[in-house]
This record gives sequence, C-alpha cells and structure tokens, in this order.
Amino acid sequence: MGEARTGLLKFGLVGPALVLLIALNVFPLLYNVALSFTASGMTDSGGFAGTRNYAAVFSEPKFAAALRTTAVFVAAAVSAELLLGFGLALALRGRIAGNAPPPSAFLLTCLLVPMMLSPAVMGLYWNLVLNGHYGVLNQVLAFAGLGQPQWLTDPRLKLVSVLIIDIWMWTPFMMLIALAGLNSIPRYIYEAAEIDRAGAWCVFRRITLPMCAPLLVLAVLLRTTDALKQFDLVMAVTGPDDAATQTLSALLYRTIFRGDNVGLGSAYACVVLVIVIALASVFTRCIGHIQKKHGR
Amino acid sequence: MRTRFAFCVILGLALVLPGCGKKDAGTPVDNSAVKPGETPAAKPSEGSRNAAKQSVTIWWAQWAPADGLQQLGLEFEKEAGIAVKVHQIPWSAYQDQVFLNFGNKQTDFDIVVGDSQWIGRGAAKGLYLELTDWLPQAVDMATVHPRAARYLCEYPPGSGRFFAAPCETDAVGFAYRKDWFADPAERAAFEKKYGYELEPPDTWDQFRDIAEFFCRPGGKRYGCALLTGRGYDSLVMGYQQIMWTWGGSWGDPQTYAVDGAVNADASVEALEFMKAMLQFSPKGASNFDYGQTLEAFTNGSTAMAMDYFAFFPDLLARMKDKAGFFIMPRKGEQRAISLGGQGFSISTKRPAAQQDLARKFIAWFLQERVQKLWITKPAGFTANTSILASEEFRTATPYNAAFADSLDSLQDFWNVPAYNELLAVAQQYLGEALDGVKTPREALDKLAEEHAKILKESGLVKGE
Repeated sequence: MGEARTGLLKFGLVGPALVLLIALNVFPLLYNVALSFTASGMTDSGGFAGTRNYAAVFSEPKFAAALRTTAVFVAAAVSAELLLGFGLALALRGRIAGNAPPPSAFLLTCLLVPMMLSPAVMGLYWNLVLNGHYGVLNQVLAFAGLGQPQWLTDPRLKLVSVLIIDIWMWTPFMMLIALAGLNSIPRYIYEAAEIDRAGAWCVFRRITLPMCAPLLVLAVLLRTTDALKQFDLVMAVTGPDDAATQTLSALLYRTIFRGDNVGLGSAYACVVLVIVIALASVFTRCIGHIQKKHGR
Repeated sequence: MRTRFAFCVILGLALVLPGCGKKDAGTPVDNSAVKPGETPAAKPSEGSRNAAKQSVTIWWAQWAPADGLQQLGLEFEKEAGIAVKVHQIPWSAYQDQVFLNFGNKQTDFDIVVGDSQWIGRGAAKGLYLELTDWLPQAVDMATVHPRAARYLCEYPPGSGRFFAAPCETDAVGFAYRKDWFADPAERAAFEKKYGYELEPPDTWDQFRDIAEFFCRPGGKRYGCALLTGRGYDSLVMGYQQIMWTWGGSWGDPQTYAVDGAVNADASVEALEFMKAMLQFSPKGASNFDYGQTLEAFTNGSTAMAMDYFAFFPDLLARMKDKAGFFIMPRKGEQRAISLGGQGFSISTKRPAAQQDLARKFIAWFLQERVQKLWITKPAGFTANTSILASEEFRTATPYNAAFADSLDSLQDFWNVPAYNELLAVAQQYLGEALDGVKTPREALDKLAEEHAKILKESGLVKGE
C-alpha cells in the first residue's frame, strides 16, 4: 500500500510536467513527421504523398542555397561571438596572465543589454541604423568622409548586416559563459604558475584555455543550435524572400505560410531537426571528451 | 503494471487533448445558399432583442481605409441594427493570419478584405463564397468600373464568376514637388536644357528627363523614387506597369505560357529602363518599399515618388501645397498601371446566418449614397463609375482626378492560387537585376524558367 502511494505521488509530481512535455513537444514533433508525408496545405489536408516531400527537399536548389547560407551564418556568427566574447571576458577578468578585480555590476549590465532585447525589435532598430539613405551609421560614415555602403540593399552586404546584428546581440552571452568559466579556475593555480615563472602565453594556453574549454564548448553548442534556427533577424532585416539571407528557417516559413505547402515545409523542419540533433550530439561528445581529459 | 497503466493514461490524454478543440458551431454553407435580391439593409424589427446583438466581423489590414470602414460600420449599425467590427491586422502579418484562420473549421471573420492576388487561392480552395448570382443583384455591375470588377471580384479574371465585391479600389500613381515644378528659375533651366516646358510628365521619356534634371546629389536632391522593395510585392508592382507599357507581359492568361513574354525583348528593355532610373534616385533606392518611397518624398529630397493613391492623403497632409499628383506616364499610346486595393469576400467557413449578415453589409456598402460617404473617409477610394466621372469627385482632392483617370489602365499580377510563389521568385530575380547580380536579360530568362515551372507544378499548364 505504501509502495503504491509512493508510486502515485511520483506520478502526481512528474505527471503534469510529462503531460505538458508530451502535448507541447512530443505530439507536435510526431504530428510534424506525419505531415511531412502528406501533400497538406494551410487550408486543406492533402493525401498521403509518400517520400515525395523528402525527395523534393534534397533536389530543390533553394534548400541547398538556404543550407549554405545557414552554414556560413552559423560559422561566421558563432566564431566571431566566441572570439569577441572570450576576449571581452579575459579583458574583464585580466586572466591572460594575472588577475584583475571583478568587473563592476554597472559595466557588466551595460555589456549584457543587447542579449536581453527582443531580436525582432532589434532587427527593426538596426534597419534604421543600417538604412543606406537615412541610416545613422551611414550618416556617421559620411561625416567622417568615408564611403556609404548600402548595407541592406547590396547583395554582398545583406548577410554581413544580419551577422553584425547577431554578433552584437549574442557576444555578451559568450562573454557571460566565458566569465563563469574564468571564475571557476582556482586562484592558487595561477599563483603556482607565477611561482614557476610561467609566461602570459603559457598561462593562457596551459591553464586558462583548457580549464575554460568545457564551458566554452557548451556556449558554442547553445549558440550553434540557436543560430541554426535563425529566423527573427532575417525576417526583420531583409524578409524571408531574399535569396542572399534566406536561412533554413526563413525558407521553411516561406514554404509553409507563403507557398501554402505544409507537407514540404514539415519535411524541411524534420531535416533541420536532424541536422541540429547531429550537431548537438557532436558537441556533447566533445564536452564529454574534454571533461574526461581533465579528469572532471 | 500500474506504472505502465498510468503512463498510458497520461500519453492518451496528451494525444487526445489537442484534438479537443471547439466543435464547429455552424455548418459551412454551400454556394447554392446565396440569396439574390436581398434587401440591402433591413431595419431591425421592433422588439427583437436578438437583432441588436447581431454583428459582422471584418478582417482587414491595419491602415487608414480600415478606420474609415469602421466609421461606416457605425452608420450601418444605426440603419440596420447590425454591429460591424473591423479587426485590423498589421500588413506584415495580415496574409499569414488570414490563411492560418482559414485553416480552422470555422473562421473568426465573416468578411475578409482580401488582396486582389488572393482571390484565386480563395476561390480555388473553396474559402471564398461564390457571389456570381448574388452580386449583380446587390449592385448594378454597370456602375462598377470594369477593371475593378475584373481584377478585384472575378476569378478567373473575365470569367464572370464573382468571389468578391469591390471595397478599396486603388492604383499606383506619382506624387511630385509642385513647388519645384512651378519655380520660374527651374522651369527656365529645364526648358533651356531639354527644349520643352517643365510639366508633370506624360511619357516615360519626359519622366526620365525630369528625373535627370532634378537629380543633384551634392545638394541632396534626387529625381525620383520608384517602388523597388523586396518585402512582399512592391518591386513587382513598380516594375510590371513599366513592363506592360513597353509591351511585355507576365504570360498568356489562357494557356499560362510565359516563355517569350516574361523575358521578351520589351520586358528586358523595361527592366533596363527601370534600373537606369535608379541613378536619379536617393541612395538605397534599389530597395524602397511603399513606406520608404513616401519617406524619400516627404523628407524633401525627391522630385517624384511612385506609390499607391491610398497613401497620398497622408502624404498630402504632410506636404500640403508642395505636393501635386500625376497618372503613370505612357509610352507611345500604351499606358498601364498596377492595380491595388482589396475586395470583400465572405468566408465559406461561417454559419449561413452570418453569411447573410455579411451580404447585407456588402450590399449596403455598395449603394451609391454609401460610396459617396466612403470617399470622404481617409483614403477611401471607390470603383463606382458615376462617382469617378463626377466633377465633384475629381476636384475634391488634388489626387482624385489622377486616380479616376488611372482606372482605365489598371492591370494586375497573376492571381492564381500559386501567386505567392510566382510573386516571390519575381521579387527575387527582379531584385537581382537591380542589384547587378544578374543582367536584366539573365534575370528575366531565369524568372521565365521559374514561372513556367511553378505554373506547371500547380497544374495550370496542361498537356506537356
């Protein structure tokens, strides 16, 4: 009787969360997989389409182009954010060679503001900043006697513009996690290195970087999975139709909502999900490997 | 065992709950349920409490004409005792929200004021109620401008099958700096340079001369701002009227053959002309949406700006007597203008009683006396031919005459169910031509290829 009660209590505690999880995550996922095998539209449920949608995904040049754009975006954004974020954290903590006092709360808050703002709002805001005709940035460049690039219309600069905004928004996130990593390194290790007269580069390469690595990889994992789903900035800055910035999520939106092809869009979504899961598992293995190496 | 049972119960609940949406409150009605000749605005029967609670819900985009429609709705409520609620949705989300709502068993609106290009999708997918028998009885179709009836109400265009009634009729036109054009020094300089008087251009050649004349980037003055935005349809709306005027087309509306039309020499020349005009435009003008074109004009930098007439009341309010308006220029005897505006369509996914109320409102709205009220509302433009021809209307505002003259030249983009795909690739390749990624010839060849593929995949091109 006691055991049964305990079992019920367990389900009573876990059940609501489990129901929510199934209703909001598992069911939509399974439904999406089912839809990807149909010819459904927004307003009509089409019949069974077999694997036709998946064949279309892999033969459609738009998908290849969107995959390429997304890959370039993820690689450029995450690399820049990692380097800048880690650099900022090092500058704040002075942990390349020595120690510095912790950053002031005010400075830290100022640095964190961009990541706290809504991406859609930021996209619209940056539209005003980057506008080639009346944008603030070009006004400043003109005042300085420099050229006035057409950030939002020049096809070579459109993706760069979206990247600039993303890097501006998410570098603080990398910085925050890197700071946590730096703070977790015991002070005595640096003191021992100092006694051993280790140089700044040696301290950074042998102590700071390896001991921060698990958290940095985690940050890269989180940002990569997030950047792979990039949608809101693209929508706000260039719209879903612009080939120069059409990411996988923008293509998915276009296919479902504008193209009225829910079946094909669901197939895109499944493929994107597989890519995200594959990358996530690579990163988690990477984290595990690093932790094992450092005996954590 | 108990554990498994409990898990199965939870799983079952999770799978069943999402399907437990509200049941269909009313039976969708087939097209035979239409009631021709119904009294436009029946007075509420005395003592009928229910009549006072009746209401019609209309969905439209968030802009000035929707405010005007809501004001008219109050008039309708006074006369017929039926409340009208105009639900406004921002333009950027409007189309998505409407078709998402159509995905439900029952829509939240009785009437949708749908874009002209949506009509094929609405009609072919059975979302819009067919009004073929009812509309000609509700309004004398001879009083509806034939171009508005063709592109806003019929599907396929010219078929005589109606799926919408005209609400806001719109056209693309030009605003120009009346004060610059009237300046004696400018007029003398222009005449000296080009050999004819400076007047609002009647032809595209004159337009080019005037744009070149006023383009003085050093003095922050530019000649023109055209519709070139990549957001939804503005580049296509800007380009297609030049294309038609040059003799090009989107294709054969009967056979849906596009090769040789989209990429005809005339179309290539039209795109080259449009691209050439950008040298007289403000920086960044190769991607000017409706709002940015207006902004280029109202910030005082640009001599001529292309936009829809529905935006001109606001522009006039800001520029006052500095702004004048003219109709889209011609080339030779050819003049073509992009149609704008939207029609009233009744949702098939509403109970019959609500569809009846919707018909009552539309019939009331289309009466000439109400149309005369409609044109007094912000950006309210009519398709009523007798109002359009009246001197009273033509002289009521500085842009009315140009608007009335524009209607005879209206044409529209494809309005087949696959319009969105056609529009998106047109925006993409025309944009690449303006951006220099492709030459106009390459861009239009690629566009013709893509359009042919989309039309074939959508089942419109037969027998290949």
